[in-house]
Amino acid sequence: MGQFFRRWWRVALLLVGGLLLVGGTRYAAPLYRQPILQVTASKVTTVTKTKDEFNNRDRQYTQYLTGRVLNGKHRGQTLQVKNSYSASGAFDQRYRVGDQLFISRSHKTILIKGLKRDTVLVALLWLAVCLLVLLLHRAGLMALLSVALNLILFFLAIELDLALRSVGFLYLFGGLALLFALLTLWLILGPTKQMVITFAATVSGTVLSMGLSALVLALTHHNGIYYETMAYVTQVAPQPLFMAATLLGSLGAVMDESTDIVATLFELKSDKPAISALELFQAGRQVGTAIMGPLINVLLLIFIAETFPIALLLLKNGNSWGYTFSMTMSLGMAQSLISGIGIVLAIPVVSFLASRLLVTKAGAVK
Amino acid sequence: MSTIMALSLVLLAVMVLVGGHKGALAFLSLWLNFGCLFLAIILVSVHFSPIMVTLILGILMLALTIFVGQDDLMTTQTAFFAAVLVLLILLVLIVPVEHWAAVQGFGMEDSDELEGMSLLVGINFVKVSIATAVLSTLGAIAEAAMAIAAGLSELIQQHPSIDTHALFKAGMHVGQQIIGTTFNTLFFGFFGGFLGLFIWFADLNYSWGELLNNKVLDAELILVLFSLISVILTVPMTTWVMTKRLQMMRKKPR
Repeated sequence: MGQFFRRWWRVALLLVGGLLLVGGTRYAAPLYRQPILQVTASKVTTVTKTKDEFNNRDRQYTQYLTGRVLNGKHRGQTLQVKNSYSASGAFDQRYRVGDQLFISRSHKTILIKGLKRDTVLVALLWLAVCLLVLLLHRAGLMALLSVALNLILFFLAIELDLALRSVGFLYLFGGLALLFALLTLWLILGPTKQMVITFAATVSGTVLSMGLSALVLALTHHNGIYYETMAYVTQVAPQPLFMAATLLGSLGAVMDESTDIVATLFELKSDKPAISALELFQAGRQVGTAIMGPLINVLLLIFIAETFPIALLLLKNGNSWGYTFSMTMSLGMAQSLISGIGIVLAIPVVSFLASRLLVTKAGAVK
Repeated sequence: MSTIMALSLVLLAVMVLVGGHKGALAFLSLWLNFGCLFLAIILVSVHFSPIMVTLILGILMLALTIFVGQDDLMTTQTAFFAAVLVLLILLVLIVPVEHWAAVQGFGMEDSDELEGMSLLVGINFVKVSIATAVLSTLGAIAEAAMAIAAGLSELIQQHPSIDTHALFKAGMHVGQQIIGTTFNTLFFGFFGGFLGLFIWFADLNYSWGELLNNKVLDAELILVLFSLISVILTVPMTTWVMTKRLQMMRKKPR
């Protein structure tokens, strides 16, 4: 009874606390330094039909917004702002009554900087955490913890990179990848033999695929890889940035797969202690073959689906399919292929390591 | 030879070496999936409804990932039904959230990339953002559904008379085992791509408030959160489909 009550108390805390947090972001304006305006009335005045040089038809609207300032020294003041937006909304948007907007004021002009999006973000995060904890209990919490710790490491590495002015960029993120793998596997498996094998396989599979891919890239002279299309490049050269992004991107999938294979082989070994190293190796290969396809697909879809808006825009601006692919998807495709090679190569490596280590132990017993 | 071609050949070679005939099929399914994704973009560019395109091609992509190269029908059919159900639930969730968050299209950080392009192309980018969110998470749904369904059908083979309550518990247990590593696949898959963006933010000293409300970052974080939510939902959904299936099979007179 007491346990039942304690459990419900925790669930209630999660639900109510989260709801308060989500609701609270609507009243969080005083925490922001930038002035925030809450829209109280909106009036759309003009509509213009547009047609660009590629015969794309669209509509542009002008909207007059009235709102109340929620923070700062002008708190409570009522302001009028003009907003123009298009029906397609690629770079602009229509605002509605109740929306909270960041604005900037200089002299008499007021500019809208953007929508305040913290409420929706916190709400979605809360939904994810609730589902995770309510459905998967302790395992869900551990998964969350490992993501949170990795996130902290990730931010620390970026701060360190900026402090170093990106000297030794690839070494830094290579080291980070090692730390990531160690931390994550330790959290999932604990300090066990299983963890050591999985870690060794993850590292060697990744190193093999990165090395092989670097060789292929060099031999083909990076033909058809447009590093200049890489988004958000500041101080790091695009090519090392691409390699680091690929390394990190494939790491999770390789760990996922190695964990599965090692777990299956350990189970097999305890079921049939007399199993030979070769049989174990073949079993590992079989498990790996079944999961490698879906895993590479996970990464492919993550890397390529994100290019949807920019690819669409290029197509609508009169570019060919081939040009659109090169400019938007060639990097994502190369990333998927390199990660795929890593995912596949990890299978024999992890099966070999696990089968050798497991059977030597049995040999010693004989 | 182009680099993409060479890398594809290397991937095909290692897939066949490791997986034989099944490896070749998995390679084929990969390219068919890419073809579907590209087709989706082309269909939307000629003004087909983004949501309808996503729904139809999304289901096709789930089928390609789940059925090609796998032969246990108990696993694949269950995984496929569960994945389609999760896709539908997800769509119901994504449509209002993307309208609310308004993270469609491009942000200030994309300005360089957009220079000289016409942005008034007459396609609703909120719907495009919905399509993007659904498509990017399909792979993760398929993978999780396969893992759960495979675990459960093995259990049913070993204990053919297992009752549905125990089966449901076992499904949630498999879910607890895979959730940690699946989350990490998604985390690293997405955050590898965020590396450039985060260095940009850190370099230009964005404040926490600016980051939390930044259009480009929020668009990405919403994708990650939807992927996580859909993987979590896949666990009970696949288990539920498996128990229903088992009940139906037992009712049927032989």
